[in-house]
Amino acid sequence: MTGTRRRWWLTGGGVLITAVYLLPVYWMLATSLKTSSDIFATPPDLVPSPVTFTSYTETVMNHAGIGRGLLNSAIIAVATTLVTLAIAVPAAYGLARLRLRFVPLLMLLFLVVQMVPAVNLALPMFVIFSRLDLVNSYTGLVLANCSLAIPLAITVLRPYFLSVPGEVLDAARVDGCTTWSAFLRVAVPVSVPGLITVAVISFLGAWGEFVFGLALASEESMQPITVVLAGLVNSFGTRWNDLMAVSAVVALPIIVIFVFLQRYIVGGLTAGASKS
Amino acid sequence: MSATGGTATRADEPETGSHGAGARGATARGNGTRAGGGPPRRRRLGGYLFVVPAVLFVAATVLYPLIFNIDLSFRDVGVAQIVEGGAEWVGTENYVDQLGRGDFWHALIISLLYTGLAVAFAFAAGLALAVYFNQRFPGRNVMRSLLLLAWVLPTVVSANVWRWMLDGSYGLLNTLLEAVGLIEGDLFWLARPVPALFAVIIATAWSFTPLVMILLLAGLQGIPDTLYEAAKIDGAGGWRRFTSVTMPMLRPVSVTALLLVFIYTFKTFDTVFLMTRGGPGDATMIMPIYAYNEAFEFFRFDTGAVATTLMLVIPLGLSFFYFRFLRREETA
Repeated sequence: MTGTRRRWWLTGGGVLITAVYLLPVYWMLATSLKTSSDIFATPPDLVPSPVTFTSYTETVMNHAGIGRGLLNSAIIAVATTLVTLAIAVPAAYGLARLRLRFVPLLMLLFLVVQMVPAVNLALPMFVIFSRLDLVNSYTGLVLANCSLAIPLAITVLRPYFLSVPGEVLDAARVDGCTTWSAFLRVAVPVSVPGLITVAVISFLGAWGEFVFGLALASEESMQPITVVLAGLVNSFGTRWNDLMAVSAVVALPIIVIFVFLQRYIVGGLTAGASKS
Repeated sequence: MSATGGTATRADEPETGSHGAGARGATARGNGTRAGGGPPRRRRLGGYLFVVPAVLFVAATVLYPLIFNIDLSFRDVGVAQIVEGGAEWVGTENYVDQLGRGDFWHALIISLLYTGLAVAFAFAAGLALAVYFNQRFPGRNVMRSLLLLAWVLPTVVSANVWRWMLDGSYGLLNTLLEAVGLIEGDLFWLARPVPALFAVIIATAWSFTPLVMILLLAGLQGIPDTLYEAAKIDGAGGWRRFTSVTMPMLRPVSVTALLLVFIYTFKTFDTVFLMTRGGPGDATMIMPIYAYNEAFEFFRFDTGAVATTLMLVIPLGLSFFYFRFLRREETA
């Protein structure tokens, strides 16, 4: 049938488009596996030959700053995710289900806040944190990350709680549940996909965050990996294989999460993404 | 769950909003067991405990800093006053200083140019991808998802990869352009003003394109097939169906997508900071980097506060239109 045939042509075209579009990602990985001389081959080797892992084993593993940066990012991103969940989940439920006043106003607030550039917060935060001794601290960095993650999480989560059937919550009430236990025992378990979505986007956002790290962590030992990477741009110069290896390592958790939790991401990402 | 339009629309649903609360409250009292019976007043007070932490948190980490920033913008903040406080109130002096500076206006123009062009490219590419991947064929869902990788990748990573792609002597892009005869010899993208601006625009558009695609795909899926069938019966070809059915039907979603992506792009900092730091010279000095430099390079937190405060007008002003269009789309 011609229809089937046309569809396979479309698949072919789709593969080509996707491959061309993601060429930079491939090029990052390919370059990270090249030797120092192979990166300057003209014309460039599209496939690294020989393949070498030296950039990973020598540079990434042995560079103290990189390990520290990864650790910092992990701490900041995990803490941001946990704080965001703890604060945003009850709030989203309250705004969806508890017939409070000012709901449209609060939702508007949480949406508008997401339009604020990170620099607008980083600048006053630096002054405020300087006075509170929170510059170069995990607390400060987590607070800063949560400032943008929490409003986003609330806007993403509220629809999930809105879609919990009212009858389910009614049944819980009939069984004598308090508002709090109806939330914890009924609404939360039913909304696990939403919780995963929010956890994932909070983590992705905090892991890739740059501006707060740059402004609020001047000491190298406190900088997240994104800021460390920006610093390596100067010190590594044209060691592109090493730079791409570090980039790949920074991207790795994102790619792993993306591959395994993909279906949870799409909805959340477009709901008001938390980039810079 | 898909587009921003979708979620934000749902977020605005009056179902449990305050104006809906009266009617719902009445039914609740009527049959006693509706979504948590019990005395409404007591429940309501308890209910606020769910929301108060979030409101306080946002007040402390967003609203307070923003107000604090406005206060800073009216004071003479030296390095000593950053930690000690007690900066002298100088009224509009910092504003007069900033508005009289060529760099400030230059940054604003560069920012608008950068944002406008990046959004235009991302929209064109995102629309093309959305239309293509809206067709039915094996593997399209996997490919759609894969494309999103460009959007979730940390911007620091993609910016760094683009620096390498755009390298004058050994960059892949120059090799490809030379192969097809578009350029001759090395083009040092990031070392020359106009190519540098173009380079950061392309890198930014690359990141934002999948977002546009997803937003528009949601809109495309809302167009009923019957419209295309009717157009076909009327003898409309593929291009005609695109211009007379797809484009008009996609307009509301396009407007909200454009506004949203414009706001996000205007906020962008990392991509440009990593690729050029605003250079060469000030060729790519966008507003966020200009403001950052004022404060963190030159330690002028007062004029930095002026720049950030004034800069806020653009995303906030546009978000006003964004929410209005969302609402209109919702009622349509």
